[in-house]
Amino acid sequence: MKFCYEIKGGDFSAGGSASSQVKKTLKQFNIAPQVLRRIAVALYEAEMNVVAHAWRGSMCVDINIDHLNVVIEDEGPGIEDIERAMEEGFSTATEEVRQMGFGAGMGLPNIRKNSDEMKLTSTPGIGTRLALTIRF
Amino acid sequence: MREKNYTHSIQIDRDKCIGCSHCMRVCTTQAIRIIEGCAVIQPERCVDCGECYRVCPQHAIYAMDDGLASLAADHYRVALVPSVFLGQFPSDYSATEVLEAVKNCGFDEVREVEQAVDFMKEAYRIRAGKQLPRPQISSYCPAVVRLIQVLYPSLTSHIMLLKAPHDISALYLRLYREREEFDSRKLSLYYITPCAAKTVAARAPVGESASLIDGTVNMKEIYNKTLATLLARKEKGGRKHVADMSPDSVCWSLSGTEKHYFPGRSLAIDGMENVIDFLEKLESGHVSDIDFLEMRACDQGCAGGILCPGNRFLTVERLEQRQKRLQQLKDQQEGRVENRLLEYSEMLHPLSGVEPVHPRDGLLLDEDMEKALVKLQRIRRLMSYFPGFDCGACGAPSCRSLAEDIVQGKASISHCVFVQRVMEKNYKLSPDQAFVVIEKIWGRGRLNKYNDANENES
Repeated sequence: MKFCYEIKGGDFSAGGSASSQVKKTLKQFNIAPQVLRRIAVALYEAEMNVVAHAWRGSMCVDINIDHLNVVIEDEGPGIEDIERAMEEGFSTATEEVRQMGFGAGMGLPNIRKNSDEMKLTSTPGIGTRLALTIRF
Repeated sequence: MREKNYTHSIQIDRDKCIGCSHCMRVCTTQAIRIIEGCAVIQPERCVDCGECYRVCPQHAIYAMDDGLASLAADHYRVALVPSVFLGQFPSDYSATEVLEAVKNCGFDEVREVEQAVDFMKEAYRIRAGKQLPRPQISSYCPAVVRLIQVLYPSLTSHIMLLKAPHDISALYLRLYREREEFDSRKLSLYYITPCAAKTVAARAPVGESASLIDGTVNMKEIYNKTLATLLARKEKGGRKHVADMSPDSVCWSLSGTEKHYFPGRSLAIDGMENVIDFLEKLESGHVSDIDFLEMRACDQGCAGGILCPGNRFLTVERLEQRQKRLQQLKDQQEGRVENRLLEYSEMLHPLSGVEPVHPRDGLLLDEDMEKALVKLQRIRRLMSYFPGFDCGACGAPSCRSLAEDIVQGKASISHCVFVQRVMEKNYKLSPDQAFVVIEKIWGRGRLNKYNDANENES
């Protein structure tokens, strides 16, 4: 079953609401607490990436019997060098964003760590698409 | 593994309840429904925080304790009194005096719970040095522990697996009596409780098969009896001459003391809404670098407990005064504290832990993933019919919870007053049928009452 949520770029105060909604829904299923935690962390990081870097985006979650597929797409500057972006500590976040406690360059590595499959594609100047799979 | 023990202290008096739904609206786990004009609590969701108790205009909600009547006559009865109880009385009454008056209520001995706090401080330091999930969440407030079990299952592994001070006190008393070759079967320990959650913790402890406490007595009941004794007394009672615990131990149950004893970075959070707000963040990995979380369901910690008769702010101030007096005693003894409980530290440490805490299934739609998915699909479809006002007229706290109840077979779509009007308009429901539905939620007498009143007027 599929759910989609809008994400607003730059709105840090509302950041995390989409992943929080998904989390609420998943708690109604018999999913192991550790898996739930991984999902919560991965989705929150992915959502905050859109908030911190893009203009707007969406999070679409597809719940299946034994796994969860998530697609986070955004319209934004995109990622120039995906390999570098995946390195721990690498970040292009602005000083303002860092001052808010984000942009430590752990977002993408953290998402990878917490999901079973991860596919990141991006077109500079247009946007980024992140697809995740987490098995229950 | 999921925990299925649903013992509760919070109860509803069906004779007093008018189904007004105040409780339903404030319930943090959405555990209350109005059925046939009366509030009904879903046991798998209730965490005994007592928010409903606070708002009930009818005083129909009560906290069930074991009561003074449960004191076994042929047993040696010990009352474990928490500091917040002493804080209910003006400072002119000394702790010794108040404790003496408590003894008059039918106890053979009276002990202060906070004597165990010096031990707790050690236990915290030891746990801080271990490789445990961070942040460690204090297990002190049983309502918070249960809240995590119900709403934040993925955080149960963060709960500190340590007994509460009153359990440590109880353990100490048992060990101490055993050493004196006292028949432990003849020893009954009662805890004077400031809240419903502590009663539940004593009856159905989390992470333990049985509690060391034999019974709980509602603080309000003891307060009235103690006050009567104090008022009747002509001469003043004694005062303590030695500091038998560290001065700040008396403030342990208030918000903000506990956290100082877990080395590293820590936060103290009180009030149910604040606790929920923070746990939400923590669950998403929003919070980093915090080593310890002290969380209390009540504003100001236990001073705000639902069974505390006094003003919580006055209580806090009085405990702070008491801390100062204990500090003076400690200074007179050149910084020495004569805490007998600490002599048992070595024996207590290996016994102070509890088993891991498991989530509860209060939110589950279905154990079976496939069935749960079908139910979720139905919930979404139902939600499109409901107005989204969360008016509560259906007897559920929100449109979403009505939809959940429907898929669980606990309610029907016609419970929604908006859907009812639509059905009536389309001739799918007669006004009489609609009345029957409403009566099922609001109670039988409800609609008749208005008929009678109208007849009298005309």
